[in-house]
Amino acid sequence: MHGNRVFAACTGVIAGLVTLAGAAALPAAADETCNSPYMGNLIKGQEDYLYVWALGVKGMGDGSDKLVTIDVNPASSRYGKVINKVSVRGQGEAHHMGFTDDRRFLWAGGLDNSRISIFDVGTDPSRPKLVRTIADMPAKTGYVGPHTFYAMPGRMVVQGLSNTKDGGGVTGMALYSNKGELVATYPMPTTDGGDGYGYDVAINPQKNVMLTSSFTGRKNYTRALGDLVKDAEAMKKFGNTMVVWDLKAMKPKKVLSVPGAPLEIRWSLKDGDSWAITASALTSKLWLVKPDASGEWQAKEVGVIGDPAKIPLPVDISINKDGTGLWVNTFMDGKTRYFDLSNPEQPKQTYERVTGKQVNMISQSWDGTRVYIASSLLANWDKGGADDEQFVRGFAWDGKELKPAFEVDFYKEKLGRAHHMKLGSKAMKTAYGGERTAALR
Amino acid sequence: MLLAAATAAGGGVAALAVDAHEPDDTAPAAVTMDFVPPPAGSYALHAIMPAPDGPVLDAEGRRRPLSRFTAGKITLLGFIYTSCADRRGCPLAYQIFHTVHHRVAEDAELRSHVRLVSLSFDPARDTPEVMRHYAAGAPSNGVEWAFLTTERPRTLAPLLDGFGQDVRIETDAHGRPAGPLAHVLKVFLLDESATVREIYTTAYLFPEVIMNDIKTLRLEDRPQRKIAR
Repeated sequence: MHGNRVFAACTGVIAGLVTLAGAAALPAAADETCNSPYMGNLIKGQEDYLYVWALGVKGMGDGSDKLVTIDVNPASSRYGKVINKVSVRGQGEAHHMGFTDDRRFLWAGGLDNSRISIFDVGTDPSRPKLVRTIADMPAKTGYVGPHTFYAMPGRMVVQGLSNTKDGGGVTGMALYSNKGELVATYPMPTTDGGDGYGYDVAINPQKNVMLTSSFTGRKNYTRALGDLVKDAEAMKKFGNTMVVWDLKAMKPKKVLSVPGAPLEIRWSLKDGDSWAITASALTSKLWLVKPDASGEWQAKEVGVIGDPAKIPLPVDISINKDGTGLWVNTFMDGKTRYFDLSNPEQPKQTYERVTGKQVNMISQSWDGTRVYIASSLLANWDKGGADDEQFVRGFAWDGKELKPAFEVDFYKEKLGRAHHMKLGSKAMKTAYGGERTAALR
Repeated sequence: MLLAAATAAGGGVAALAVDAHEPDDTAPAAVTMDFVPPPAGSYALHAIMPAPDGPVLDAEGRRRPLSRFTAGKITLLGFIYTSCADRRGCPLAYQIFHTVHHRVAEDAELRSHVRLVSLSFDPARDTPEVMRHYAAGAPSNGVEWAFLTTERPRTLAPLLDGFGQDVRIETDAHGRPAGPLAHVLKVFLLDESATVREIYTTAYLFPEVIMNDIKTLRLEDRPQRKIAR
C-alpha cells in the first residue's frame, strides 16, 4: 500500500487439490480503503454485501446484537434488502469489526460486554455464521472494550478502550492468533507523554510503523452523553495522544500530542505517500501525521471540521484510494462532508450534505462511487425521540453530489442500531468448507 | 490460458475451467523496505501457534512426518508450487528463500541451527521427482533446505488449515467457479519446538527482517512457552 505497491499473483497450473492460478498477497489496489494492508482476497469490483454490526435494543425484535447482511449489488433482485441476520447473546454494545488477513473470518466486538464474536464469512459470504466467541478478554488481558480489529499476518490486533481496574481510559492492545488464541498484550504507553488511552490502529508495513489513537474509558462511553458533557472532570478523561510504534518490535517510539480524542486513522494509499490523517472528535480538527525533513514523526493540525465551537463531533472518516479526498461524518449535525486532500497540509472542504439526523460510520467502495453511511454512535450517545433515526443508507457519488440509492430502516426492520459496516463479496469463496473452519469451533 | 482445475471442497473434488491471468510484468518485484529493522534480540517473537503435523513426502519420495522438518531447528517454511510463474508470487518467495539460505550459510553460528522448507500446494503435479528437480536450483552450502510434497489433497488440507494458509476460489454472479484460486502468500518462521513465531506476507517479506528474527530466536536464553497442541 505504501510506496511500491505490489499485488503478487502466481499464475500456474495445479491439479489434484487445486489449480492455483492466483496467489494474491498484498496491499492491493482494491476493496474498502480502511482495511489492513495485510488483507488479501480483496474485492476488485462491485461488492455484493454490506455486513452491519448492529446494537440490540431491548424490546425490539429479539433484542440482541446482530450481524446484518444487506445485498448491495444493484444488479441483484434483492438490492437494498436485508438477506441475513445472525444474533449473538444479549446487548453488549456492538461496535466495530475487522476481517482476518485471509478475509475468511470477521471479528466483531462489544464495548460493554467485551465479547468478541467471530463470524465465518468465507464458507458462504451471503450467510455469515457465528463460529466462536471470545469472552475472556478482560480476564486474560485486563483490557475491556475491544474496539479496533486490525489484521496482521495470521493474527488479529484488538485495541481495547478501557480496563478492568477502574473503567478509565488506560488500556492496551491484545494480539490473538487467527484461531482465537491470545498471543500477547501491549499496554498503551503512560510515560514520555503517553496517556495510556487507545482507540484505532493503522499500519504502514513499508515504514515499519503502527499508529494508534485515543478515546475514553468505559465509565465515559457507557454514560448518557447529556450527563457526560456536563461533568467537567469526566470530560477531562479523553485521550489527547497518538502513538508511533515500532511495528516489528511492537514498542512505542514516540507519543504525539493530538488534543481532543483523535479517532479513526487512515494512511494515504497512494504510492510513495507516507502520511496518515485523523480527526479529533472533541476539537473538530483534522490532523496530519508524517515524518518531518529529518525523518521524525510529527502530528500537525491542518484544518477544522465545521465550526468547532458548536462541537459537530466528527466521527468516522474514509479516505479515497489515491489519498486525494476524505469523507468526514459529523454526528451532531448529521452531515457528511468531503475534503479535498490534494494538498494534505491544507485540506479544503468542497462538499457537504445532511445525510441523517445523526450519522456515524462511513465506508466507500474502492472506486469511490458508492458510499455507505450508518447512524449509531453508542447506545447512550445516540440522540433521542424523532432524532433517533437508525439506518444504513447507500449513496452514489459522482464527484459532485451524493445521490441516495437505497435505505434500510433498522428500527422498522426491528434490527436495532446500525453501527460498523464492512463490504463482502460472493466472488471469493473459500475453497474448503466446514473443515476449514473447524479450528475455530 | 485455459487451465483444467480441480478443487477440494469439503473433501469432494469438483472440476472447473479457469482462465489464468498472465503475470503483470509492469509491477515491481517486491515491496521496498523503507526502514532500519530493530536489532536482533531487542524485541520478542511471541508464540503464535503450534505448527501442524502430518505425513509428507520428501524429495526422495519417502513418507515422513512434517514434524521431522519443523522441529529441532529454526525453520523457515513456505508453501509453493513449481509451476508458479509470476515473478511476484512464489518466485519472489523462492528468491527470498535463496537469499536467506545464502546468508545463513555465511553465518557459522546459524548454519547448523536453521533449515528451510518449501512445501508444495500441488500434490498431483509436484511429485517428489518434480520437487527433486526443483530443488536442484538450491545450492549445497551446508544449510538444510527440504523440498516436500504430499501424497494427495486430503493429506495436504490439514496442513494448510493448521498453518492458517487460505485457498480461495472465485465464483461468478451465479456462484459458479469462474476465476482463479487464490491464496495470501505467507511464510512461517518456526522455533526449534515447531512453534510458529512469525508470519510474513509479501507486504513484509524482507530478508533483513527474517535474518534478525532468526537471530532473535537463537538469542533466546530460555525456551519459549510451548503451546499445547
